[in-house]
Amino acid sequence: MGKNQLDLPLLPTPYRKIALGLLILSVLFVVVTKTEMLLIDRGTVKTISMTGILVSLLVLALTKNKIEDELTSRIRLRAFAGSFIFGVGYTIVWPYVNIIFRDSFFSEKGSTELLLAMFIFYFLIFYSMLKKR
Amino acid sequence: MINSIKIERAIRNMTQEELANRVGVSRQTINSIEKNRYIPSTVLALKISKEFDKTVNEIFELEEED
Repeated sequence: MGKNQLDLPLLPTPYRKIALGLLILSVLFVVVTKTEMLLIDRGTVKTISMTGILVSLLVLALTKNKIEDELTSRIRLRAFAGSFIFGVGYTIVWPYVNIIFRDSFFSEKGSTELLLAMFIFYFLIFYSMLKKR
Repeated sequence: MINSIKIERAIRNMTQEELANRVGVSRQTINSIEKNRYIPSTVLALKISKEFDKTVNEIFELEEED
């Protein structure tokens, strides 16, 4: 397929499988350590698993679809923009949510959670727009 | 912007899939263009017009609100 006007520098399609594999491994790592088969410090488990999850989601987000044409590129850009705006909104609103729901599930969300939320938002927009095209 | 892709396809008995393969996009993209949900790039508009041996102006037409 030739170049399109919105040609984005994306990874080749096979990287999707690598990303999904890494994502599954990261989730499995959390599950295995929860069962106490491996005795690793909780903080270390969280750091390793979150790194794996974030890297895999980043690779997934930056991997070409089977047919990557100009409409797909446009949808991708919109999803990126949408998730960026969502991230900014999240950062603005979250301190106030923290004040209201102190010491609850909502408190102490850091940059990792922000990035996770942004990725989830990105994939939601991207795949819903792909379906509706 | 309106277009006559559907009519041109019907004249040539061509499916969306066939046209999509010829111009190097997905069938869904052709469908979106036909339904005026997506305005193609200049390059894609030229490729589509070339497939029908017509000029871009003969396939794509501006509407009053454009």
